[in-house]
Amino acid sequence: MNLEQLKQLKNKAQKQIALRESGKKYRVVVSMGTSGIAAGAREVMKTMLDEMEKRGIESVEVAVTGEIGMVDAEPVVRIEEAGGEKTTYAKVNPEVARKIVVEHLEKGKKVESVAVGKVKEQE
Amino acid sequence: MFEELSLHILDIAMNSLAANASKIEISVLENHQRDWLILRVRDNGRGMDAAALHRVLHHRATTKTLRKKNIGLGVALLRQTSEMCGGHFHIRSAPGQGTSVTASMRLSHIDRPALGDLNSSILAICAANPKVDVRLHYRTDKNQYHFSSHELAPKGESCP
Repeated sequence: MNLEQLKQLKNKAQKQIALRESGKKYRVVVSMGTSGIAAGAREVMKTMLDEMEKRGIESVEVAVTGEIGMVDAEPVVRIEEAGGEKTTYAKVNPEVARKIVVEHLEKGKKVESVAVGKVKEQE
Repeated sequence: MFEELSLHILDIAMNSLAANASKIEISVLENHQRDWLILRVRDNGRGMDAAALHRVLHHRATTKTLRKKNIGLGVALLRQTSEMCGGHFHIRSAPGQGTSVTASMRLSHIDRPALGDLNSSILAICAANPKVDVRLHYRTDKNQYHFSSHELAPKGESCP
Protein backbone atom coordinates (compact mmCIF):
# COMPACT_ATOMS: atom_id res chain seq x y z
CA MET A 1 0.00 0.00 0.00
CA ASN A 2 1.51 3.32 -1.01
CA LEU A 3 0.87 6.89 0.06
CA GLU A 4 -1.59 7.55 -2.74
CA GLN A 5 -3.74 4.58 -1.78
CA LEU A 6 -3.66 5.64 1.85
CA LYS A 7 -4.85 9.09 0.87
CA GLN A 8 -7.68 7.60 -1.15
CA LEU A 9 -8.66 5.41 1.76
CA LYS A 10 -8.68 8.41 4.05
CA ASN A 11 -10.85 10.41 1.67
CA LYS A 12 -13.26 7.54 1.38
CA ALA A 13 -13.49 7.17 5.13
CA GLN A 14 -14.03 10.88 5.58
CA LYS A 15 -16.89 10.86 3.12
CA GLN A 16 -18.61 7.99 4.88
CA ILE A 17 -18.12 9.61 8.26
CA ALA A 18 -19.54 12.87 6.95
CA LEU A 19 -22.61 11.04 5.68
CA ARG A 20 -23.06 9.24 8.99
CA GLU A 21 -22.49 12.29 11.14
CA SER A 22 -24.93 14.39 9.17
CA GLY A 23 -27.51 11.77 10.18
CA LYS A 24 -28.45 11.13 6.57
CA LYS A 25 -29.05 7.64 5.40
CA TYR A 26 -28.59 8.26 1.71
CA ARG A 27 -26.80 10.68 -0.51
CA VAL A 28 -28.31 11.16 -3.95
CA VAL A 29 -25.92 12.47 -6.58
CA VAL A 30 -27.41 13.70 -9.83
CA SER A 31 -25.06 14.08 -12.77
CA MET A 32 -25.60 17.66 -13.86
CA GLY A 33 -23.00 18.18 -16.55
CA THR A 34 -23.84 19.48 -20.00
CA SER A 35 -24.86 16.06 -21.27
CA GLY A 36 -26.91 15.35 -18.15
CA ILE A 37 -28.78 18.62 -18.45
CA ALA A 38 -29.42 18.06 -22.14
CA ALA A 39 -30.84 14.61 -21.34
CA GLY A 40 -33.20 15.95 -18.68
CA ALA A 41 -31.29 15.84 -15.38
CA ARG A 42 -32.99 19.02 -14.21
CA GLU A 43 -36.46 17.47 -14.39
CA VAL A 44 -35.19 14.30 -12.73
CA MET A 45 -33.74 16.26 -9.83
CA LYS A 46 -36.86 18.36 -9.48
CA THR A 47 -39.08 15.28 -9.47
CA MET A 48 -36.97 13.62 -6.81
CA LEU A 49 -36.98 16.73 -4.61
CA ASP A 50 -40.75 17.08 -5.04
CA GLU A 51 -41.40 13.42 -4.29
CA MET A 52 -39.15 13.45 -1.22
CA GLU A 53 -40.90 16.52 0.10
CA LYS A 54 -44.29 14.98 -0.53
CA ARG A 55 -43.34 11.82 1.35
CA GLY A 56 -41.53 13.65 4.12
CA ILE A 57 -38.24 11.88 3.46
CA GLU A 58 -35.59 13.87 5.29
CA SER A 59 -32.74 11.43 5.74
CA VAL A 60 -31.47 12.05 2.22
CA GLU A 61 -28.87 14.49 1.07
CA VAL A 62 -29.09 15.64 -2.53
CA ALA A 63 -26.01 16.72 -4.41
CA VAL A 64 -24.86 17.17 -7.99
CA THR A 65 -21.75 16.31 -9.91
CA GLY A 66 -20.36 17.30 -13.27
CA GLU A 67 -19.72 15.09 -16.25
CA ILE A 68 -18.97 11.55 -15.14
CA GLY A 69 -18.17 10.04 -18.51
CA MET A 70 -21.43 8.15 -18.99
CA VAL A 71 -22.77 10.50 -21.63
CA ASP A 72 -24.91 7.92 -23.43
CA ALA A 73 -26.51 6.79 -20.17
CA GLU A 74 -27.59 10.21 -18.94
CA PRO A 75 -29.44 11.27 -16.89
CA VAL A 76 -27.49 9.34 -14.27
CA VAL A 77 -28.41 9.23 -10.59
CA ARG A 78 -26.10 7.65 -8.03
CA ILE A 79 -27.28 6.69 -4.58
CA GLU A 80 -24.69 6.30 -1.85
CA GLU A 81 -25.62 4.64 1.38
CA ALA A 82 -24.16 5.45 4.76
CA GLY A 83 -22.66 1.95 4.79
CA GLY A 84 -20.66 2.73 1.67
CA GLU A 85 -22.75 0.92 -0.88
CA LYS A 86 -23.34 2.71 -4.16
CA THR A 87 -26.00 2.16 -6.76
CA THR A 88 -25.99 3.87 -10.12
CA TYR A 89 -29.16 4.36 -12.12
CA ALA A 90 -28.95 5.20 -15.80
CA LYS A 91 -31.33 6.77 -18.30
CA VAL A 92 -33.53 8.03 -15.51
CA ASN A 93 -36.68 9.92 -16.41
CA PRO A 94 -39.10 11.62 -14.02
CA GLU A 95 -41.20 8.47 -13.79
CA VAL A 96 -38.22 6.30 -12.89
CA ALA A 97 -36.99 9.01 -10.53
CA ARG A 98 -40.26 8.81 -8.63
CA LYS A 99 -39.92 5.04 -8.46
CA ILE A 100 -36.38 5.35 -7.10
CA VAL A 101 -37.58 7.64 -4.34
CA VAL A 102 -40.45 5.32 -3.40
CA GLU A 103 -38.59 2.00 -3.69
CA HIS A 104 -34.99 2.79 -2.84
CA LEU A 105 -35.06 5.84 -0.60
CA GLU A 106 -38.26 5.01 1.25
CA LYS A 107 -38.38 1.21 1.29
CA GLY A 108 -34.66 0.54 0.88
CA LYS A 109 -35.24 -1.72 -2.11
CA LYS A 110 -33.13 -1.19 -5.22
CA VAL A 111 -34.80 -0.63 -8.54
CA GLU A 112 -32.85 -3.37 -10.31
CA SER A 113 -34.36 -2.75 -13.74
CA VAL A 114 -32.54 0.57 -14.20
CA ALA A 115 -29.48 -0.03 -12.02
CA VAL A 116 -26.25 -0.29 -13.98
CA GLY A 117 -23.67 -1.04 -11.35
CA LYS A 118 -23.35 -1.66 -7.69
CA VAL A 119 -20.08 -1.18 -5.91
CA LYS A 120 -19.80 -2.59 -2.44
CA GLU A 121 -16.88 -0.74 -0.99
CA GLN A 122 -14.40 -2.81 0.92
CA GLU A 123 -14.25 -2.14 4.59
CA MET B 1 -28.27 21.68 -28.25
CA PHE B 2 -30.46 22.80 -25.39
CA GLU B 3 -34.12 23.38 -26.03
CA GLU B 4 -34.47 26.06 -23.39
CA LEU B 5 -32.32 29.04 -22.49
CA SER B 6 -32.91 28.21 -18.83
CA LEU B 7 -31.00 24.96 -19.38
CA HIS B 8 -28.09 27.02 -20.71
CA ILE B 9 -28.26 29.11 -17.56
CA LEU B 10 -28.23 26.00 -15.39
CA ASP B 11 -25.30 24.60 -17.34
CA ILE B 12 -23.22 27.77 -17.02
CA ALA B 13 -24.09 28.07 -13.32
CA MET B 14 -22.88 24.49 -12.79
CA ASN B 15 -19.49 25.69 -14.05
CA SER B 16 -19.62 28.41 -11.41
CA LEU B 17 -20.28 25.80 -8.72
CA ALA B 18 -17.40 23.73 -10.03
CA ALA B 19 -15.21 26.82 -9.68
CA ASN B 20 -16.10 27.03 -5.98
CA ALA B 21 -18.13 30.20 -6.27
CA SER B 22 -19.96 31.36 -3.15
CA LYS B 23 -22.11 33.79 -5.07
CA ILE B 24 -23.75 33.40 -8.47
CA GLU B 25 -25.59 36.30 -10.04
CA ILE B 26 -27.89 35.56 -12.95
CA SER B 27 -29.35 38.41 -14.96
CA VAL B 28 -31.99 38.13 -17.63
CA LEU B 29 -32.76 41.31 -19.49
CA GLU B 30 -35.60 41.48 -21.97
CA ASN B 31 -35.50 44.66 -23.98
CA HIS B 32 -38.47 44.58 -26.34
CA GLN B 33 -37.92 48.11 -27.57
CA ARG B 34 -34.48 47.34 -28.91
CA ASP B 35 -35.19 43.68 -29.52
CA TRP B 36 -32.50 42.24 -27.26
CA LEU B 37 -32.43 39.39 -24.82
CA ILE B 38 -29.35 39.44 -22.66
CA LEU B 39 -28.32 36.67 -20.29
CA ARG B 40 -25.50 37.06 -17.85
CA VAL B 41 -24.07 34.64 -15.29
CA ARG B 42 -21.49 36.16 -12.99
CA ASP B 43 -19.68 34.35 -10.19
CA ASN B 44 -16.90 34.90 -7.72
CA GLY B 45 -15.27 31.53 -8.36
CA ARG B 46 -11.64 30.87 -9.02
CA GLY B 47 -11.72 32.22 -12.58
CA MET B 48 -9.75 31.11 -15.61
CA ASP B 49 -6.49 32.16 -17.18
CA ALA B 50 -6.17 33.07 -20.85
CA ALA B 51 -5.28 29.53 -21.91
CA ALA B 52 -8.32 28.02 -20.17
CA LEU B 53 -10.57 30.70 -21.66
CA HIS B 54 -9.31 29.89 -25.11
CA ARG B 55 -9.99 26.20 -24.52
CA VAL B 56 -13.59 26.59 -23.36
CA LEU B 57 -14.38 28.82 -26.31
CA HIS B 58 -12.74 26.89 -29.08
CA HIS B 59 -13.03 23.24 -28.12
CA ARG B 60 -16.32 22.72 -29.79
CA ALA B 61 -17.31 20.18 -32.41
CA THR B 62 -14.24 18.02 -31.90
CA THR B 63 -14.52 14.59 -30.40
CA LYS B 64 -11.62 13.07 -28.55
CA THR B 65 -9.99 16.10 -27.02
CA LEU B 66 -13.31 16.87 -25.36
CA ARG B 67 -12.80 14.07 -22.91
CA LYS B 68 -10.01 15.98 -21.24
CA LYS B 69 -11.06 16.86 -17.77
CA ASN B 70 -12.97 20.07 -17.12
CA ILE B 71 -13.32 21.00 -20.75
CA GLY B 72 -16.81 20.61 -22.03
CA LEU B 73 -19.23 21.88 -24.57
CA GLY B 74 -21.46 24.03 -22.41
CA VAL B 75 -19.86 27.42 -23.00
CA ALA B 76 -19.37 26.76 -26.69
CA LEU B 77 -23.01 25.71 -27.01
CA LEU B 78 -24.26 28.94 -25.47
CA ARG B 79 -21.96 30.91 -27.73
CA GLN B 80 -23.34 29.09 -30.74
CA THR B 81 -26.92 29.78 -29.67
CA SER B 82 -26.33 33.49 -29.16
CA GLU B 83 -24.42 33.97 -32.38
CA MET B 84 -26.99 31.98 -34.27
CA CYS B 85 -29.68 34.34 -32.98
CA GLY B 86 -28.01 37.54 -34.10
CA GLY B 87 -26.30 38.26 -30.81
CA HIS B 88 -22.89 38.41 -29.24
CA PHE B 89 -21.11 36.27 -26.74
CA HIS B 90 -18.67 37.57 -24.22
CA ILE B 91 -16.77 35.96 -21.41
CA ARG B 92 -14.54 37.74 -18.97
CA SER B 93 -12.44 35.94 -16.44
CA ALA B 94 -9.12 36.06 -14.66
CA PRO B 95 -7.61 33.81 -12.01
CA GLY B 96 -9.04 34.80 -8.63
CA GLN B 97 -11.40 37.34 -10.20
CA GLY B 98 -14.39 35.14 -10.94
CA THR B 99 -16.05 34.71 -14.29
CA SER B 100 -18.71 36.65 -16.14
CA VAL B 101 -20.49 35.10 -19.11
CA THR B 102 -22.72 37.32 -21.21
CA ALA B 103 -24.80 36.12 -24.13
CA SER B 104 -27.11 38.35 -26.11
CA MET B 105 -29.57 37.44 -28.81
CA ARG B 106 -32.33 39.01 -30.83
CA LEU B 107 -35.56 38.60 -28.91
CA SER B 108 -37.53 38.20 -32.11
CA HIS B 109 -35.08 35.87 -33.86
CA ILE B 110 -36.89 32.84 -35.20
CA ASP B 111 -34.24 30.45 -33.88
CA ARG B 112 -34.15 31.88 -30.39
CA PRO B 113 -35.05 29.15 -27.90
CA ALA B 114 -37.70 29.95 -25.32
CA LEU B 115 -36.51 30.91 -21.89
CA GLY B 116 -38.26 27.84 -20.53
CA ASP B 117 -38.58 26.74 -16.95
CA LEU B 118 -36.28 29.23 -15.25
CA ASN B 119 -37.73 28.35 -11.83
CA SER B 120 -36.58 24.76 -12.08
CA SER B 121 -33.10 25.85 -13.09
CA ILE B 122 -32.82 28.20 -10.13
CA LEU B 123 -34.16 25.47 -7.84
CA ALA B 124 -31.61 23.00 -9.17
CA ILE B 125 -28.74 25.44 -8.64
CA CYS B 126 -29.91 26.19 -5.08
CA ALA B 127 -30.35 22.51 -4.27
CA ALA B 128 -26.99 21.64 -5.77
CA ASN B 129 -25.21 23.69 -3.17
CA PRO B 130 -27.38 25.33 -0.51
CA LYS B 131 -24.48 27.38 0.81
CA VAL B 132 -24.10 29.37 -2.38
CA ASP B 133 -25.89 32.68 -2.65
CA VAL B 134 -27.84 32.45 -5.89
CA ARG B 135 -29.31 35.69 -7.16
CA LEU B 136 -31.60 36.29 -10.07
CA HIS B 137 -32.33 39.64 -11.62
CA TYR B 138 -35.03 39.55 -14.25
CA ARG B 139 -35.84 42.75 -16.06
CA THR B 140 -38.25 43.53 -18.84
CA ASP B 141 -39.23 46.91 -20.28
CA LYS B 142 -41.87 47.41 -17.64
CA ASN B 143 -41.19 45.06 -14.78
CA GLN B 144 -38.38 43.65 -12.76
CA TYR B 145 -38.00 40.78 -10.39
CA HIS B 146 -35.24 39.97 -7.95
CA PHE B 147 -34.54 36.79 -6.08
CA SER B 148 -31.85 35.81 -3.65
CA SER B 149 -31.52 32.35 -2.15
CA HIS B 150 -30.03 33.82 1.03
CA GLU B 151 -33.15 35.88 1.62
CA LEU B 152 -35.22 32.71 1.65
CA ALA B 153 -33.14 31.08 4.34
CA PRO B 154 -33.74 31.87 7.98
CA LYS B 155 -30.76 33.60 9.55
CA GLY B 156 -27.93 31.24 10.33
CA GLU B 157 -29.33 28.47 8.18
CA SER B 158 -29.09 27.65 4.53
CA CYS B 159 -32.02 27.01 2.27
CA PRO B 160 -33.22 23.39 1.84
